[in-house]
Parts: sequence; C-alpha cells; structure tokens
Amino acid sequence: MAPGGQEFDSVVRLVGVQKYFGAVHALRDIDIAIGRNEIVGLIGDNGAGKSTLIKVMTGVLAPSAGKIYIRDREIPQSEYSVRMAHDLLIETVYQDKSLADKQPLWRNFFVGRQITDRFGFIDIKREKEIAQRILIDVIGFRGVGITVDSTVSKLSGGERQGIAIGRAMHYNADLIVLDEPTAALGVAEVRKVIDFVRRIKSSGRACIYIEHNLAHVHEVADRLVVLDRGRIVSEINPRQMSVNELTEYLIDLQHRG
Amino acid sequence: MAQRHDASAWLRVEGAPIIIVFALLLFLFMWIAPVVFLAPSIYTTFLTIIPPLLLLATGLTFVIGAGEIDLCFPAIISFSGFVFALLFKEYQLGWIAIFAGLASGILVGYLNGVLIARVGIPSFIATLGTQFFWTGAAAVLSGGKSYALRGAEESSVWQWIVGRPFASATTIDWVQGLSVQALWTALIIGFLWLILTHHRFGEHTLFIGDSNDVSRVVGIDVDREKIKIFTLMGGLAACAAIMLTLEQKNFFGNQGQGYLLTAIASVLIGGTSILGGRATILGTVFGCFVIQILEPGLVAAGLTGSWVRTVQGLIFLIAIIFYMYVDEPQRRAAFMLRFHTIPGFGGASASRPRASE
Amino acid sequence: MRLCRVLLVGVGAAALVAAVAPAWAADPIGKGLVMYMQMGGNPGDGATLARQTGAAQAAEAFGVDLKAQFSAWAPETMIAQFKEAMAAKPNCIEIMGHPGATAFHDLVKQATDQGIVITDGNSPMTSLQAEFGTKGFGYAGVDLYEGGALTARAMLAKGLKSGDEAMVYGVFSQAERGQSEKGLADTLEKAGLKVDRLEISQEVNSDTSLGVPILAAYVQAHPNLKAIGTQHGGVTGTLQQVLEKAGKKPGDIVVGGIDLAPATIDGLKSKYITATLDQLLYLQGFMPVVQCVMTAKYKMPGLSLNTGAGVVTPDTIGGLTQLIDAGIR
Repeated sequence: MAPGGQEFDSVVRLVGVQKYFGAVHALRDIDIAIGRNEIVGLIGDNGAGKSTLIKVMTGVLAPSAGKIYIRDREIPQSEYSVRMAHDLLIETVYQDKSLADKQPLWRNFFVGRQITDRFGFIDIKREKEIAQRILIDVIGFRGVGITVDSTVSKLSGGERQGIAIGRAMHYNADLIVLDEPTAALGVAEVRKVIDFVRRIKSSGRACIYIEHNLAHVHEVADRLVVLDRGRIVSEINPRQMSVNELTEYLIDLQHRG
Repeated sequence: MAQRHDASAWLRVEGAPIIIVFALLLFLFMWIAPVVFLAPSIYTTFLTIIPPLLLLATGLTFVIGAGEIDLCFPAIISFSGFVFALLFKEYQLGWIAIFAGLASGILVGYLNGVLIARVGIPSFIATLGTQFFWTGAAAVLSGGKSYALRGAEESSVWQWIVGRPFASATTIDWVQGLSVQALWTALIIGFLWLILTHHRFGEHTLFIGDSNDVSRVVGIDVDREKIKIFTLMGGLAACAAIMLTLEQKNFFGNQGQGYLLTAIASVLIGGTSILGGRATILGTVFGCFVIQILEPGLVAAGLTGSWVRTVQGLIFLIAIIFYMYVDEPQRRAAFMLRFHTIPGFGGASASRPRASE
Repeated sequence: MRLCRVLLVGVGAAALVAAVAPAWAADPIGKGLVMYMQMGGNPGDGATLARQTGAAQAAEAFGVDLKAQFSAWAPETMIAQFKEAMAAKPNCIEIMGHPGATAFHDLVKQATDQGIVITDGNSPMTSLQAEFGTKGFGYAGVDLYEGGALTARAMLAKGLKSGDEAMVYGVFSQAERGQSEKGLADTLEKAGLKVDRLEISQEVNSDTSLGVPILAAYVQAHPNLKAIGTQHGGVTGTLQQVLEKAGKKPGDIVVGGIDLAPATIDGLKSKYITATLDQLLYLQGFMPVVQCVMTAKYKMPGLSLNTGAGVVTPDTIGGLTQLIDAGIR
C-alpha cells in the first residue's frame, strides 16, 4: 500500500537548521533526514528542543537559518506553513491538540480541508459518508455506541489517538509526526496506540515519534535520534542497545556539561 | 465503561430547551392576561421592536461560539446610528447614509478584530476599551444632541427598510402594523444560520471556540477568522442601529446601552456555551423571544416593577444550570446517582451502598 | 402666586377624592380602567420612588388597574415600552418627554386615534399638549426653565449682590433638559451676577461621585466664589462633600439644587445647602392617574400642573423627614 509517486530518498530533510527564540538558541546545527518508510524515535530530556524541531519540520514555526527539503525539493521558508505541509502530505498528531473536543467526529476528520462547493458550503452528507468509511475501514474502529456524529469527548485517550492517526493516514500522509502519543494513557490504551504506529509503517509511510517513555519507543522505532540542548548528539539502533543501556546513556548526557 | 446511550438525545435537537421554555411562558401569559396576549397587536408590535436585538444576538452567537466576547456593540449602535442619522437628516443623503452607517460599523468591528487577533489583547478588555472610545466619539461628534428624523416615513429608505407594506391595503390594524424589517431580519438570520451550520466559516468559528491550538494545528488561520467574526458583529450592529433609528424616526444621544446585557443573556439562555465551541442560532432567536416577552408579560400580569428583574435573573440562572448539566454528562450522572439514593426515589439498591464503577 | 394655584389644584383634587368617598362604598369611579405608566428610572430609585408611591395610591383610591413601566431613563426604551403598552389596548398611557415630541408625535397620534388617553409627566412636550390637549393630553411636572429660575430666586433671597461670582453646573448641551440650568443661570445673570457655566460630562452624569474632585478644585481655584447652582439631583447630593473638601463653612457659599436625595437632606440640615427645588414627585405620579380618570370617564381635557412650585430650605426640611422616609416626598 505504498503511496505511489516520484523517486526520492528522504521525505523530510533539514540541513544546517538553527532556531532562535530571542536570545535563546533552541536548535543548533540540525542535520536530519527521515527516510520513506521508517519509524524514527526522537528522544531527549525536557527542553532539549524536540517539540521545536518538529514544529519547524511541519511548518508551524519558521527556522532562523538553514534549509528544509521535502521529497528532496527545497522549500522556501517564507512560504512554508501548516497548510502547505498538509498539501505536501506531512501530518502531525498531537496528544491533546489534534481534535476539538466538543465537535463531532465527522467535522474533526474534514476540518481544514472540507468538501465544499464553490461558495464554501460544506457537503455534509458526503463528509459523513466518508467519515463513516474512515472510521470502520481505515481506523478499524470498534468502539461501542460511537458514530460519526458523536463528539470527541466521548472517546477514550487511546481511541482519540487512533482517530487522529487514522485521519492522517486517510489523507495519505507520507510522514506522520506523533508528539508524545502515549503520555497519560493507561496500559491497554498504550497498546492500541503502538499498534496504530505499526500500521503506519506497514502501510508504507514514515513516522517521527517523540516519546519520553523509552520502553515504548524502543519497541517500535527503527532508529533513535537523541536531542540534547538543541543539538543532535547521536543516532542509535535500538537493536544494538537495550532499554536499560539507553536510559543510562541519557542520564549520562544530563550530567555532561 | 458505562453505557453510552443518550437518554437526553432529544435535548440535542437544536434549541429544543429554550423553545419549550418560550412556549410555556407564552401559554402562561395567554392565560394570565388574555386581553393582551390573545390579540395580534402585541405580536406585530414585537416585530417592530425585536429586530435589533435579534441581529445583535446573532452576531454575538458567532463571537461567543468562537470563545470570545464583544462588549463594544452598544457603542457601535451609538456611533453608526449617529453617522446614519447625520447623513440622512442634515445632508439628505438617503441610501448613501445607509451605506455610510453600515461601513462605519464594519470599520469599528474590523478594528476590534485587529486589536484582538493581531495585537493580542483579550477580547473582553479590547472591546471594553473600544466601547468607551466609540461611545465618546459619538458623543463628541453629536454634541450629545439627538436627531429627529422628521418626515422620514416619506423616504424610500424608510419604506424599504422598516416600512409598513400593508398600511393602505387593509383596515385591520394589526396587519397595517406589520413591518418589513421583520422580513429582512428573518432573511439575514436565516442566511447566517446556514453559514454557521453548513459553511466552512461556521465550522471554523466553532473550532476556534473549542480550542485555538487545535485550530492552528489543523490549518485554520485563527487570526484571520477572528477578524472576520468581529467585522461581522460590527456590520450587524450597524444594521441594528439603522433599523432602530429609522423605526424610532429618531437618533438618541446614547442609544444602544440597554442592549448590552439583554443581547448577551439572550445568547446564553438560548444554549450557546460561553466557553465556546457550541453555538445555536435557533436557540439564540428563541432566547431573544423569551427576553423580549418577559417584561410586557409580567407588567400585563400586574407584577410590580421590581419583580421583572428577579424573574429575568431566575430564568437566566435556571437556563445556565440546565445547559451545564446537558453539557457535562459526568456531573449529570453523579447528580442522578445521588438523587436515586434518596429513599423513595431510587430502585431496590437505594439502601445499599453502591460499588464504584 | 404660583403656590396658591398649586394649592388650589391640590385642594381641588383632595376635595374631589373626598366628594367621591361615599361612592366608594359602591364603586370607585375609576373601576375597570387600565392604565400603563412610565415611572422613569429603576424601581426604588431616588427620583422614582415617590412617583411610584403617588401613582399606586391614586390607583388604589380610584380603583384603576395600574401597570408600571421602568426604562432606566433610556429614551429608546421608553418608546419601545409605549408601543407595548399601546398593543395592550389600555384606557390610558402616561409617558415622559425625554424622547422628544418629534419621536412621540406619530405614536401618540396613532394611540389617540385608537381612543387611548395619553398624558405626560416629569418632562414636558408642549407641542403635543397643544395638539392633543382636548383629548386629555396633560402635564404633571416641572416647568424646567421656571424651576431653575425659582431655585435662583431662592438663592438670591439669601443675600447675593450684583457683581458676585457664581457657577452653574449643568447639562446645558441637552436642548430640552438643559432648560433647567439655563433658567437658573439666566436668572442669576439678570440680577447682575457673573455666571460661569460648567458642563456636566457623561461620566459624572451617570456617576455623580466622579464630580466631587472637579467641583472641589473649581471652588479652591475661585476664592471669591459666592454661589453654586445646579439642577441635577445627584450632583446636589454631593455639594456638601465638595464644600467640606474645599475647606468652606456652611453659609460661605450660597448653594441651590434640586430633589431630596438623602445626602441633600443632610446638606440642608447642616445648612451647607441653601435651597433645593422640590419636584413633588409624588404628585407627578398621582396626578396623571387623576387625569386618566377624568378624561376617560368625564371627557375632561388635559390639565397642566407645574409641580416645581416650591423650594425646601434648612428651615422647612425638619417637618418633611417622616414623609420622605415613607417615600412620599
């Protein structure tokens, strides 16, 4: 089920990217490339710059310096935006900011890219039909009593992640960015989310996965990128390091100047 | 997990609770004061008084639905009303006065939007400030005077906007009293209802009210949409100002002050949530009806003036508490739980302690 | 004299009530009549309470079904409430002149054509009185200009001389309401005083405590000031505080005001305030009901009653305190 299209090596590539917030040097000399069909785990302590990095990657923030390549083509900073990222098939799933609680599922699926007529009026019937299909087929949803008209507030944490990821997959995103998807979730829910993440890879897509819980990310990632004080300090193959060794390594980093 | 079936599904029909309240009030007043409420005159009179309130409340439905508030609109009624009255009376500009009045309201609304979205001042504070400014501007420019629009009913402007089309066609007095402004208001509100429920802009409004962050993440240009919302409010307030001024055939120095709390109250008792993310225009419309009918009804029933405020406040509180329970099923479930454990109200398990879920 | 005329009408009304008293055993003469009445401010307000009491007592005496409306002094609310009253098709409606004769003219004509008796209180609309007087359009209230003049004369009587400095603080910009202060200022000027006219701002108009620093500053800046006049009820109540802050003693400055707010009563008792125009708000509520009954039952035309016929001074305030507490004065 790989998305067809052009030949390219990396979905997203950042070269020499810097980001300043006033005097604070949040990202330093970032060089990173995400392959077509891999799960990259982004780890590091609080304040290391993980969120800032993905915001730059997905058009939420503009870099202070450096270049961004999407599918090996350079994107001018001044033009890059979230909407453009969506057009370029890059989606972000936030733990608590991807879905609007009080709105029904079918609106959440289509907001930002509604099916409309020339004047902007939404074809509600069609949106609901497609939403129904996504719910059952793409996400594989089995929740009881949930329809496309239900509001997001009725879903559990893991189910919400599933909806958000399913939305991203429906729009054929080549790269799905997950920002701490398992935070504050119970054991069963975490299982569901990890299964969803595996689905991303098995459907031929790429994924960047920010995670604090090393055990979770160790399980699914193909490659681990470690961020410390705004800099990429190492890339690790999870097959070559156990979770305990990983934990030791990160603690070590903290102690170093 | 507890069963998810929605016993309160009927409540989700748009505006149902407030429509029921309105119907109840209406029947109550018909019963207490049949002389007034079983005759058509009072209803055609309402049709000439309620359009400004309806327009303001509809605009506010968008504003509150987006999680913001607008306190500036009474000042727009003053300011735009002044611009219109001045051009209409002193310069005899007829339809140009209409466009100027609308443009002034749209301009003020746009400036409000910019202050809130681009400069970043919270809407409560921003519109509080602009309310002072524009009220003052109107007072300074008008010198505190009122403008009497003598002979306005001769003009085409008056005829088209607030005219009585059946005045000469019949001798039945209540039919003569039917005003065109009710028709225009109905059309405007119907159109805005379509926008809120079926248009991209309406959906954006609700998402912004739900969460600014989520809206940005899904690609909504939050700043631009907020500016549009406040500009819309400004335009509607200007419409209200023009209808009010023409209907009274008079511009009063600081007209509009009385609408601040009634318009907001109408929106909230109609079911739009002050927290944003949920809005209903149908609810707002009936909220206006309830607010509008309360005072004349209570006066006709013979209640002294002090009671009107008390009853208004009571209805407002009951409505808000009601919506809170509809909105938060956990709170409702907890309340029903406690309710059922009262002896006599619950089932067999009433006397036994409940196992935690 | 004005006072005599008022007394005459008052005695006449009392006599009327006394004359029909025996008939009450049967039926009060206004029984079955429905009347809508504009009270002005908010229920229980300083400028509204005595009016409410007067109207309620008249309604009870005559057997009239009285419906009170409150508009918080907003002209557009008064107009909306008039329309609602009209739709209820009562026998009489009492209105106030704040919206102006032009705004009311067509509506009053419509109502009168429908056979409703319309009368006016508190703020005059003389053109409507002229046009609809025969149908019962009367007036019970102050003649604004005359009221101001009366207050000024009471002030002059306290020993002001030609050439003295005076300040009048009023809403001169409001064409119709400003007549009160204009009457005061003109009368003082005619007696030869140098009058400085100060405009009350919107803020002070709604919240009179904001005017205290403004006035205190003015008084201190004008050491030769001999008189202060106003026709704003709320401002009158602040004048004792103003003079105390400016370091003046009672009697240093002659003060003329209006209405009997609690602070004004204190001012009179402490002799800071020289004279205050009493609007006889009770009569402003009582008389329109009488007008209604007289016109609806006996087809009498509209009568004009100037209720601003007297001032209250430190000498006369004592006897009135009980009545003020009862909401009558």
